[in-house]
Amino acid sequence: MSLPHPALEFAAVALELGGRAILEDIDFTVARGEFVCIIGASGCGKTTLLRLLAGLIAPSRGKVSLDGHLVAAPSPQVALVFQDYGRALLPWRTATGNVSLALEAMGVPVGERPQLIAALLAKTGLVGHADKYPSQLSGGMQQRLQIARSLAQDPAVLLMDEPFGALDAMTRQGLQDEVLRIVGERRTTVLFVTHDLDEALYLGDRLIVLAANPGRIARTLDIALPRPRNQLATRENPEFLRLRRDLFTTMQEMGA
Amino acid sequence: MKAWRGALVPVLLLALAELAFRARSGPSDSLAPPSQAIAALLGTLSDGSLLVGSAETLATLLGGLAIGSLAGLGAGLALGSSDLLRRLTFLSIEMLRPIPSVALLPLSLLIFGFGYGMEIAVIAFATFWPSLILTQSAVAQIEPRLLEVARLLRLSRWQRATKIVLPAAAPRLMTALRLAAGVALVVAVTAEIVSNPQGLGHDLMVAQETLRPARTLALLFWVGLIGWGKNAVLLRLERWLFAHRGDVDTRIAT
Amino acid sequence: MSVRRLPSSILGGLGLAALILLWHGLTASGLISKAFLPSPAATLDALVGGLRTGDLKGQLAATTLRMLNGWLFASVAAIALGSLIGISDPVRVYLRPTLAFARSLPASAVIPIAISLLGLGPGMVLGVVTFGSVWPTLLATVQGFANVEPRLQDVARVLHLSRLQYVSKIGLPNAVPDILAGMRLSLTIALILAVIGEMLSGQEGLGSAVLLAARAFRAADLYAGLILLGLVGLTSSYGLIWVERRATRWRQAALSPNPL
Repeated sequence: MSLPHPALEFAAVALELGGRAILEDIDFTVARGEFVCIIGASGCGKTTLLRLLAGLIAPSRGKVSLDGHLVAAPSPQVALVFQDYGRALLPWRTATGNVSLALEAMGVPVGERPQLIAALLAKTGLVGHADKYPSQLSGGMQQRLQIARSLAQDPAVLLMDEPFGALDAMTRQGLQDEVLRIVGERRTTVLFVTHDLDEALYLGDRLIVLAANPGRIARTLDIALPRPRNQLATRENPEFLRLRRDLFTTMQEMGA
Repeated sequence: MKAWRGALVPVLLLALAELAFRARSGPSDSLAPPSQAIAALLGTLSDGSLLVGSAETLATLLGGLAIGSLAGLGAGLALGSSDLLRRLTFLSIEMLRPIPSVALLPLSLLIFGFGYGMEIAVIAFATFWPSLILTQSAVAQIEPRLLEVARLLRLSRWQRATKIVLPAAAPRLMTALRLAAGVALVVAVTAEIVSNPQGLGHDLMVAQETLRPARTLALLFWVGLIGWGKNAVLLRLERWLFAHRGDVDTRIAT
Repeated sequence: MSVRRLPSSILGGLGLAALILLWHGLTASGLISKAFLPSPAATLDALVGGLRTGDLKGQLAATTLRMLNGWLFASVAAIALGSLIGISDPVRVYLRPTLAFARSLPASAVIPIAISLLGLGPGMVLGVVTFGSVWPTLLATVQGFANVEPRLQDVARVLHLSRLQYVSKIGLPNAVPDILAGMRLSLTIALILAVIGEMLSGQEGLGSAVLLAARAFRAADLYAGLILLGLVGLTSSYGLIWVERRATRWRQAALSPNPL
């Protein structure tokens, strides 16, 4: 019996742009349903990793694979949530219209769309805001809207690029729990980029630390914290604090 | 009260002009006081000549603008999306664009003779270039993040153009249309002054040639009013259409 | 080698060459009558011949001088007047609707009045060119003063700068990018008005040359004149852009996006 393919795989991946080495020696796999957080200082290439998986750029060397298949172009199985939600949403469409864009792209029949959209908006806590334009929504709601749109693809893989970086602490915590709930239901594979240590530990099953210049894997660690996570309990868990201290030292040594 | 501040200067100037004229001894062949000009304006309205002239000018304006801006839109979209096309054509565009449209009037007259055709042709030429350039720049300024979303969602070319490119560029395209409309009016009036015997420009010249200064001034004011009114209406329209988007800089007044 | 890799200048040249080939094809095949579209060869002949014998040379000089003179007068007046208006907020507010109305008035529409007042001579043409060229630069100057960073106005007050010092040290330098952009627009208008003026008054220049060529069915001469007019517009525009670039380096540096 052959082993099933990992959901995501980076095999000896390197990327050079304009003569500069952006990423080097990237080797890791992510299993189906795993929640992996990538952490590192600015400029270490964490966003680039997501873009390689999303099929927006191609590696200079090595192979990026999705479910055993080489990534050559954006796949309908992969959804990407950007940090700058304001720029990733269509300002001329309402919340409904924005979610609808994904359904239109997938060729979903017109008749089926309203139901699906309503369900997605409900799932991301945007009921009642369906007819509002992005400019009328708060930052947190705009990000939920972007997440709703990405969920419309019913993706097997969810890539999130510092999605809560532009939001205040309280909104961030609320959204963290929502993401955990949403991906837990569908067993979605998640690759989550953040510069926030605590967030990475709170959310992930596993953590990858990237060093900068050029971007390469400095460390990986498993996060053996119980699920479901809880904002108070988990963050006070001794294991959480131990991991935190450990990581903090690593980051400091890296000069982050 | 604030609105009246703007009206103060024109009213003062008109009053001064009126007084200065009254102080002169006799009538003049070249100038007339505001009171006579206003009377003349009302006269042209009542005898229908103002409406006829305006209709003729506006007809050519709209015809030429429609052709020129649509062609410019299409070309601008094509050039904005294809780097190769843009680089192939930029030199040719830079060579053809600076030719003053007014210089084409004799040629247009030669080809089409007097009438609507020659004027529409020149207006189309004149409005084509700003439409082309502004459409191109509108496409170039589309939020790159949105284009990435289009790639990620694997939108087809057509879907990308209709769902992302056009709506994203729409505010700037409206501005381009407004500016092109301004060009169209100027070229229309100029064509009528220089060569085409119809429309408001022609009426202006005739009024001057027949030594009716009040009528000349009245028509001049009317042309200015059309220009200002068209701009104000289009600006309002732009703001109303795009205010909810939050991505548009509605401060741009020109 | 892929066509895409060629440098832009060569690609542009190729495009232009293709256009000229198309032009040649249209006339050689007889698709468009030679009376309306002369062949490229005939046009080149007329152009070179006209410049050599001096006819076109004189006309080119006349139009260019007319355009430049009017434009220079207008620019000086516009900048001076614009500065006076610009430094005073209340004056700006009072004048805004008047200026807006003047801006939307087609400059050529004042020609009949100008003819009434000044006749059909060179003075009228110069007057019209000057009058029409004033507005873009005037409005741009006022705009340039209007968008002086309020903080800088406070600085001026604290330093007790006189009106003249404010204008020369803060107002004008801040307004330079806008003024230059306005002057470029004014130059385009100056050329247009010069051509119109020549056509109406019969004064020597490219405008009247083109008109006479059309009347005499000399298509090649007509096109030669058009090409020269295009070149005048092109060189003056690019000349000003060059000046603009050098004079506004500070703003470009601020506006250029972070390469990261």
